[in-house]
Amino acid sequence: MESRMEPLQKKTIIKWIVWIALFVLLGILASGHYKKLLYGRDHTITIGVFSDSYWEVQNGYSYRILDDAIAAFEKEHPGVKVEYTSGVMKKDYSKWLAGHLVKGDAPDVFFVLKSDFNELSETGTLMDLSKLIKQDDEFATDDYYQAALLSGKYLDTQYALPYECAPKLMFVNKTILNQEGISMPAEDWTWDDFYELCRKVTKDTNGDGVTDQFGLTGYSWKDAFRENGVSIFSEDGSSCHLLGEDIEAAIHHIERLNDLSNGYSVTTKDFDHGNVAFMPMLFSEYRAYKSYPLSIKKYSGFEWECVAMPAGPDGDNVSTLDTLLLGMNADTPHEKLAWEFMKQLTADTDIQSEIFDYSEGVSVLKDVTESDETRIVLERAAGENVTMNPKVLGDVLDHAVAEPAFYNYDLAMQQIDQMMQDIIGGDQNISMELIISNRKINQYLKDMQSN
Amino acid sequence: MKNRLEDDMEENKTMKNQFLFMKQLNLLILIYISVVTFFGIRGCIEGQNALEFLSAAGKLPPGQWNGLLLSVGYYICLLILLSLKCRNNLELFAKVALEIIVGVLICDMVYFGYAGVILLILADAIQYAQNIKRRIFVILAACVIYLLVDADLVSAVYPVIPLETMWMYYDTQSKMMLFVILKFLNALNLFVFIYYMMVLILDQMSEKKRILLLNEELEKKNEQLFQYAKEMEAVTQTKERNRLAREIHDTLGHALTGIITGLDACIMLMDVSPEATKKQLSSIADVARQGMTDVRRSIKALRPDALEKIKLKDAIKQMIEEMSQSTGVEILFDCDTELNYFTQDEEDVVYRIVQESITNSIRHGKASRIEIHITREYNILTIRIIDNGIGCKDVKHGFGLHHMEERLEMLKGSLEYDGSHGFTIEAKIPIRWGEEGKHD
Repeated sequence: MESRMEPLQKKTIIKWIVWIALFVLLGILASGHYKKLLYGRDHTITIGVFSDSYWEVQNGYSYRILDDAIAAFEKEHPGVKVEYTSGVMKKDYSKWLAGHLVKGDAPDVFFVLKSDFNELSETGTLMDLSKLIKQDDEFATDDYYQAALLSGKYLDTQYALPYECAPKLMFVNKTILNQEGISMPAEDWTWDDFYELCRKVTKDTNGDGVTDQFGLTGYSWKDAFRENGVSIFSEDGSSCHLLGEDIEAAIHHIERLNDLSNGYSVTTKDFDHGNVAFMPMLFSEYRAYKSYPLSIKKYSGFEWECVAMPAGPDGDNVSTLDTLLLGMNADTPHEKLAWEFMKQLTADTDIQSEIFDYSEGVSVLKDVTESDETRIVLERAAGENVTMNPKVLGDVLDHAVAEPAFYNYDLAMQQIDQMMQDIIGGDQNISMELIISNRKINQYLKDMQSN
Repeated sequence: MKNRLEDDMEENKTMKNQFLFMKQLNLLILIYISVVTFFGIRGCIEGQNALEFLSAAGKLPPGQWNGLLLSVGYYICLLILLSLKCRNNLELFAKVALEIIVGVLICDMVYFGYAGVILLILADAIQYAQNIKRRIFVILAACVIYLLVDADLVSAVYPVIPLETMWMYYDTQSKMMLFVILKFLNALNLFVFIYYMMVLILDQMSEKKRILLLNEELEKKNEQLFQYAKEMEAVTQTKERNRLAREIHDTLGHALTGIITGLDACIMLMDVSPEATKKQLSSIADVARQGMTDVRRSIKALRPDALEKIKLKDAIKQMIEEMSQSTGVEILFDCDTELNYFTQDEEDVVYRIVQESITNSIRHGKASRIEIHITREYNILTIRIIDNGIGCKDVKHGFGLHHMEERLEMLKGSLEYDGSHGFTIEAKIPIRWGEEGKHD
């Protein structure tokens, strides 16, 4: 009897082994751990990057910072190789990245455009970095400008680290101010100061009866809202709040400024021709066109400078921050190495200081941006009559805010923009219109959430 | 009865075939969806539409090959689960629960655009649920799951990329064609499932009818059996009476014949030789005692005592010895074969025939010499008893011969006799070969 049992038991054991093997295989396949098994030992990490500047200026240093970072990283981690595909342009980058993500062979670490960030976070393609940040004692979130770090947060989860940023600043045509005998506005100027200056410069200079010098262009309700401390959306983007005195004040502020131009729609072209005193612009543009020889191409007919944005009665001298982010593939088999390399790019002071040498953005590290070396670099680039002090830049960055991050932010903003266009300059009752808009947008957000 | 069995088997076969067909059809559908999806995603990537796809999908689909491999892998798992047999309720519950989990995983792999595998699980589970209540429960549970595993419903709690999005690469016309094919396959699966359920239910109904019919038949047969038992009782009674009469005749009659003959001899001998008379008398006493034992035994078990303790051949020899001693008749016993391949009743018959013939020869034929030959030729045992008595021209069927014939008939044997020169009896008994080995 016993001898008969043995082969039977053997058979059942084999059957069970086959079963378990099948389940383990499926489990590995389903959870995506097979990548770790397949590529885990291979010490090559790949980086997704685009070749031109994020700030849309030609600078000829396309991979310089990345190459330096890779060299430093490979020196520090012998045996590890870092690779990237070159030649992808920024305009194609989103498509290129999405293709590889869908295909399942995306790079381990990749740059994330701010416009793609919400979508990539929502679709679960980005690794949640909270755990890595917590485990890493060397990593200090305080080193970063908070607004920059916040740009990499989606619904309270850190999905990306900031690599470089640029705040929005108010560009001033100094030539006009000088002609009118007005001094540069102070760093903590207000809406009233702003209006006063605009009112003063708006005039007909050649006496043909048509106003040809204007106060401002490119200044939108979004800037006004921000400066007056308005936050439209709840943090998760499930509802919006378009009611309140601060909002009405911001709308009145815009209407008052618009009224100055007497119905004429001032464009950036007018600014380029030297006929407009103020225009909000990213700091990266300031850096790009301030420096020789690019400055000749644009804005050659006048002197210009930049200051912080004006403060509303309920707000502060706040500007938004555009940030280039760095994310990790949620599927990466090299989590540790990828994290180390992310730190190399974003938290290493040597690499970060190269941003001032080879890019037009600003380092996201406080120590780097507010250092003496940076001041020297900026001074050299800006030429003789410099007013942009790195300390001032640091202040602006400290006060900067990141745009809220939720899945349908862009679409919701488009809707609100459409409504604001109608309200501003319209002759309806603003409070009434806001109530209607508020209800519409909330309904829209609700619909989007349920989809 | 035979027809019904064939019907049963045929029904079983059609159901098995339907189940098999459903299994294959489901595999085909899963592969179809996976392959179309595979090329859809590939097309999106190659056509630089991955970004639009990603934003429409809202989440990353499983890797290109993963979807294909996983859906087939899960399906193999499900097939293994389906093939498992359950011995009790707990196992059944575990099996169905696992099947449903794997089924939902498969649905996830096809983006909840197809839920036919749930029907497959239902078709399997329903086989086990024999009673109506459990069956209704299984059907309801499976229907609820079948309805819940719908892309729109699932997407309320779990992000699902609709198949429509997965196939967005295809232009409207081909997408419509692809969906029409899927719808057709889905409908085919549903149709086979409904047919399967119908056959199952019809089968069950016909089974119920058949059980009713069988019950009726059984009742009839029972009544017949009852009648038969009554008849049997009467027959047995008669038979037993006859047997009893035979036994009395065989034992008591035999002994008394011996005693009477012996005593007659004693009367004649007494004056001539008192010694011989004494000897004769003691022989008679032996016969009487034997007779007594026989009677006792008859009462007790109605079976030859001698045979209970010793072998048939020895028992016959002993009987002949006693007879020849008590009657003074010369009895020759010639047996060229072993007699140990008979059953009890056969042994009884052989013994009784020899005993009866000797009694007859002495009582009716007044023989002084009797020859007994027992031979075996192939599978026939022949008993020949020849005496030198007066014989009998016109053989009357006395109790003895009649009983002998009766006993032989029971064994499918035959009896022949001839009374022209002395009296010759020949009995033939077929040997049941099957028994031989057992006794040898």
